[in-house]
Amino acid sequence: MNANPNQQENHFDEIACLQYLEGQLERARALELSAHAENCGQCRGLLGALERESRLLTRAIREEDEPVPARLFRPVRERMPWAWIISFGMAAAGTYWLWTTIIDPWKAQLNEAGFGGTNLVTMLFFQGALWKGWGSMWTLVQAMAVMAMCGVGYVLLRRGLRRMNTIALVMSALAVALLLPAGASAAEVHKNQPNYTLASGETVNNDLIIFGSVVRIDGTVNGDVIAFGANVTVNGHVTGDVLFGGSNLFINGTVDGNVRFGGSMLTLHGKVGKNILVGCGTVLADSSSEIGWGATIGAGDVTLAGHIGRDLLVGAGRVQMDGFVGGNVKMQASEAGEFGSNSQVQGKIEYEGPKQPDVASGAKLASAPVVTIRKKEMDTFAGFSWWHKALAWGASFVFGLVLMLLAPGFFKETVESANRYGASVGIGFLLVFGIPIAAIIACITIVGLAVGISTLFIYLIFFNGAKVFVAVWLGRMLLGKGGYAGISASAGGFAWKTSEAVGQLALGLLVIYGLRLIPYAGIWTAILVVCWGLGAVGITLYRKIANRNAVPLTA
Amino acid sequence: MEAGKRSEGMNATDQQKLEDCIARARSGSLEAWGELYREFAGPIFRFCRRALPAREDAEDATTEIFMKVREKLGQYDSSRPFQSWLYKVSANHCWDILRKRRIRQDLETEDVDETPLEHPDASVLDRLLEESSSKNVRGALGKLPARSRMALVLRYYSDMSYDEIAESLGVRRNFVGVVLLRARHQLREALAGQDSRGMAAGRTP
Repeated sequence: MNANPNQQENHFDEIACLQYLEGQLERARALELSAHAENCGQCRGLLGALERESRLLTRAIREEDEPVPARLFRPVRERMPWAWIISFGMAAAGTYWLWTTIIDPWKAQLNEAGFGGTNLVTMLFFQGALWKGWGSMWTLVQAMAVMAMCGVGYVLLRRGLRRMNTIALVMSALAVALLLPAGASAAEVHKNQPNYTLASGETVNNDLIIFGSVVRIDGTVNGDVIAFGANVTVNGHVTGDVLFGGSNLFINGTVDGNVRFGGSMLTLHGKVGKNILVGCGTVLADSSSEIGWGATIGAGDVTLAGHIGRDLLVGAGRVQMDGFVGGNVKMQASEAGEFGSNSQVQGKIEYEGPKQPDVASGAKLASAPVVTIRKKEMDTFAGFSWWHKALAWGASFVFGLVLMLLAPGFFKETVESANRYGASVGIGFLLVFGIPIAAIIACITIVGLAVGISTLFIYLIFFNGAKVFVAVWLGRMLLGKGGYAGISASAGGFAWKTSEAVGQLALGLLVIYGLRLIPYAGIWTAILVVCWGLGAVGITLYRKIANRNAVPLTA
Repeated sequence: MEAGKRSEGMNATDQQKLEDCIARARSGSLEAWGELYREFAGPIFRFCRRALPAREDAEDATTEIFMKVREKLGQYDSSRPFQSWLYKVSANHCWDILRKRRIRQDLETEDVDETPLEHPDASVLDRLLEESSSKNVRGALGKLPARSRMALVLRYYSDMSYDEIAESLGVRRNFVGVVLLRARHQLREALAGQDSRGMAAGRTP
């Protein structure tokens, strides 16, 4: 800290003056400067100016010119209002869209077809599992994926506007997602017309989706027929599958593919090339009917007089079998089962019912039916179910335990994220749809199969396992460990002990599995828990990626 | 408890209260931790607000700093002022953020620019200071390279010693004065730039 050689010999340079003012100058130098300044106006002036500058700087820097954001003092669940708003906005938009374009018309059709509103939920779920028409939900799922990507894009862009690669990534993903539906939505759709008839001689070279009260296919459809309505009659030729949710389905013509039907009555007079999968009141397959492959039937009354190429699996009240089965027969009849004189079964027969089946003398059975007599017991299924539930509980518990041991920090943070239940459920809702779609897009685009498949794999693990985080959260709440001291949990209001978490996990899982036993509500609980858990995992991963500086709160 | 103020500004009762609170928080009391949090969240947010470019960054950093502080509370040496320790943790955190984002526009580690600075004319400086409001200074501060801004914030917001600044910024103790002075020069330039633009704008009909 020498005097500036460019100045007059005795003057002190600016840094010496600054250090003098800040008390950082050695004592001897400080005394020297002080003595010099008493006689030197120039240095005194500089000292004065620097001091004023210090004061201005201090004042400017310390001045409370803007309020401290309220979110820093709010409970943690309010820390992410943007996530709430986006998630629920999108969920609401998605639900509205789903309702107005799919469920509402379908419901109207169902009502027309004789299914009251109370049956709707049952129908939805019953159909859901069997419905090959999930393919036609592609557009919906894509819309969800696009919305999820928009959400992710918004978050990434908000956080990383400086990072062009993020923008490029998100934009290309969005472009891919937006380009796809155009290609995938090629199907002829008929809505809002009570009657639809494809006249004999006419041909539709496309998938045909029909919402109508009376549908009649006399011509040819080179594709699938997906119909919702009261009555569908196929007199012509369908080269693809027939999927029908409604009241009565008559197949007099030929279906080269599969028939999947949920409704009241199936009358089969013609030919089905592959399988039939049916859940309905009555199935009547007359002697001229032909099913190329197998038949899976759940119904009240079943009469099968035609030809079934492969296996038959039937669960019904009454089953009257009077035709040909090329493969094995598995039959459950809660009231009665009968093998008529024309019946011919080439494979094994397993029969379960309250009494022995009636086997007519002319019946050609390759082997005698293996019969299990089972009285009507209301709790047969329940007993089975209890055992399964216990197993599932155990598996989830072990999964949770392993995860807790392998990644205690991640586990804890995820439970913490689950505490933001609103955001978790909302984000989870998007992720449930978004991840598989993103993975599929990854599989079919340049991103690569490996990425897509491993993403799907991880997704499936967490789809089934995410409940452990919700369980621990629930356990904490029930055992009263949820003290947050009125401050944001991530700022430290979150107390955690792994030993306690194990107990909380056990209890929480018990509660979740207990809730799932409730009819109807159980299904919704399961869905909620999956969304919640996945959302919590999503939030945690996001935080880990976005804030690489954040310190995990491992105790 | 006027904990937001620097320790020398606190009276003995406040100091005692703060120490009690820290001791309770260290022994696991959530209420005490909540009290500490509420007391210091504001000052630390303002610190981050000055040190980091965006308000959202400052909000996130505040939360993260408190996560860190809570974890490290056991390591805090209670013979030192709590505020100094808190600001040190905050400074390290913010500096880490800036460093990891590679927006340190100035030189990376200890390479302090040693080109000589122009000796200021006291009267010119005085006039500039007279024309500059606190708001102008804050505006100019935002335009400074990260290290210069950080150095000024550490010194004039957190009252850090040169030793502490040296440690936080990873420069040698001897260079802290140079870093601070250079920062002031850059600030003056930014202020002068603002003024000339302001005057130009003022002249525009």
